[in-house]
Amino acid sequence: MEGHDGGVTELLLIEDDDRIRESLTLALEDEGYTVAGAATAEQGLSGFAERAADVVLVDLMLPGISGFDCIRELRKRSDVPIVVVSAREDTHDIVAALEAGADDYLVKPVAIKELTARVRALCRRIATPVGLTTLWTFDDLTINPGAGEVRLGGQEVGLTSTEFKLLCELAEHAGQVLSRGQLLKRVWGHEFGDERVVDVHVGRLRRKVEVDPGDPQHVLTLRGLGYKLR
Amino acid sequence: MSRPGLRWRVTLLFAAGALLLSTGLAFSTYQLTARHLLSERERTAVRAAYFDAATVRQGLSGDEADVVDVLRSLDTGQSRRPLLHRGGQWFARSADDGLTSAIPSALQSLVEGDKPAVQRVVIAGEPALVVGVPLARAGEDFYEVQSLVEVKDTLRTLSANLAAVAIAATLAAAALSRLISGRALRPLQDVVDAATQISKGDLTVRMRPSEDPDLIKLTQAFNTMVTEVSERIDRDQRFAADVSHELRSPLQTLTAASSVLLRRSAALDERSAIAARLVSEEAARFTVLVQGLLVLARAETRATLVSTDVADLVSRACQRTGVPLDLVEVGPGVTTWPLDASRIEQCLVNLMDNGRYHGGGVVAVTIALTADMLVFTVDDGGPGVPLDERTVIFDRFGRGRAAHSRSEGDGSGLGLALVTQHAAAHGGQINVLDRPGGGGRFQLTLPRVAPQ
Repeated sequence: MEGHDGGVTELLLIEDDDRIRESLTLALEDEGYTVAGAATAEQGLSGFAERAADVVLVDLMLPGISGFDCIRELRKRSDVPIVVVSAREDTHDIVAALEAGADDYLVKPVAIKELTARVRALCRRIATPVGLTTLWTFDDLTINPGAGEVRLGGQEVGLTSTEFKLLCELAEHAGQVLSRGQLLKRVWGHEFGDERVVDVHVGRLRRKVEVDPGDPQHVLTLRGLGYKLR
Repeated sequence: MSRPGLRWRVTLLFAAGALLLSTGLAFSTYQLTARHLLSERERTAVRAAYFDAATVRQGLSGDEADVVDVLRSLDTGQSRRPLLHRGGQWFARSADDGLTSAIPSALQSLVEGDKPAVQRVVIAGEPALVVGVPLARAGEDFYEVQSLVEVKDTLRTLSANLAAVAIAATLAAAALSRLISGRALRPLQDVVDAATQISKGDLTVRMRPSEDPDLIKLTQAFNTMVTEVSERIDRDQRFAADVSHELRSPLQTLTAASSVLLRRSAALDERSAIAARLVSEEAARFTVLVQGLLVLARAETRATLVSTDVADLVSRACQRTGVPLDLVEVGPGVTTWPLDASRIEQCLVNLMDNGRYHGGGVVAVTIALTADMLVFTVDDGGPGVPLDERTVIFDRFGRGRAAHSRSEGDGSGLGLALVTQHAAAHGGQINVLDRPGGGGRFQLTLPRVAPQ
């Protein structure tokens, strides 16, 4: 689990438009973040290798390595929360970015308040009762929210922080149906947002916690209602 | 009176032509037949009269012969009646005053001048033929009256039959031409069907390529037209999307930079602080405008209808706009409805925002089911919308007076235009009315269309 330990949240901003990078850096610094800027995916990836940020903000239209490939590369190295900030808002792009491993997607122009709210939600840790080890078990699936650990048939499963939060949210209300809107609000902190974010994350989660993602046994879809864990 | 349709005109023309032709034929048939029948009958009558005259001459050769007996001895059947004029006196088989007076005097004088003659006359309302034959002895003339009632009856039956045939021919022609014109106009009906589909927003419709050389041009031209129109629509939508996309990057800079300025406005002098606020507000408004334009460009595409919980939808819109839920009244029978949830939710949000910012606040939201239509009504407590503004407020960037005086709200001038677009994409409509008791009333009506 990434996150910051009470210190300043460090952001990595990968954005090729100088003016946008400059203005966002100013505005985010005003909100109390440390911002490292990168004009290309290459710069951003090497910067991340030197010093891992708490959250990465990435544009999709980048010269050289594209934003999509940049997200995939980051995902290989880390489960750091990644927020796409792009001018593109076709379903195709949104889903592709989320499938590549992004945690959230914002369409430009994004208000600073909105951006910081999303970043805060992604950095939020799972609240666990102090001194108690909770353990959720669903047949071959075991979740230890305190340790941030998930095991499928005894094998540890590597989840991103958002996937983990989504799984915990479902586990906490096991057997209940949670609507996409509810999940969006509780996991991503969106009041109103794009429910495709939920769907893509559920898909990603299934690929990790289901033996056969095509025939899910734990994360079930209830058509028109939402999802539930069993 | 509106002009009758092409098919009706073709049918009428055919029927008129058939009527003219068949009556003409019937008329000439009647004429020819009548002439032939009459002359045939005349010949027969003359032959019979000569024969009878010979018999009478022979019968009268004896001096004591009784004229009436001689006449009675003639084998004339029902239709021929013999008369003898002898020495200025008329003899017949029986008393028959009408008969003798019916012999025309012109004919009589011809016969008396030893010339046999024939004439058509009318006796007691019935047509008849009078044949006059002078006998050998002077002062003796034989006449025979041949009734033509049979011929008349035959001709009457003939004319009735011919009339019936003419009418039947006319009707048959009309029916046939209607059938044929229907078949000939079927490609036109195909065009109408295709055009209707297209006007409903389905631009994938094409006409089946015809094998008929006369129609091949029509279908080709039609299909080319549809392709070009749909390409143009695509281009326009792409243009709107491109413009919107291109505007997003500078807007991001503007938004971020103005928020930095705004955060420091306390440290700025008064005039700079005002300028910073204005820039910030305008950046926000510009953002709404760009988003609205893109949504509007997309709203022209077809709606994806999914059976949706209506009450749920309205409560989400209320949450987004801060309209209290207790203002919502859900009518009986309202459960789910096939609609594009995100679009209709946006419509309701826009209508509620409109009521909040330009109508003095939303006072009631009702959902009702009427005659297979779903009706959303948003009432506000404002002055209502003047009649002359009831169209313009639904235009893009068309603001009413109420919207010009506003100080907050989106004010993009696109909110109600978007509602119009979304309603149209559902086959529905948006109307503005007066709320009984004052205020404005916006009604969004959606027909029930089966989910795709």
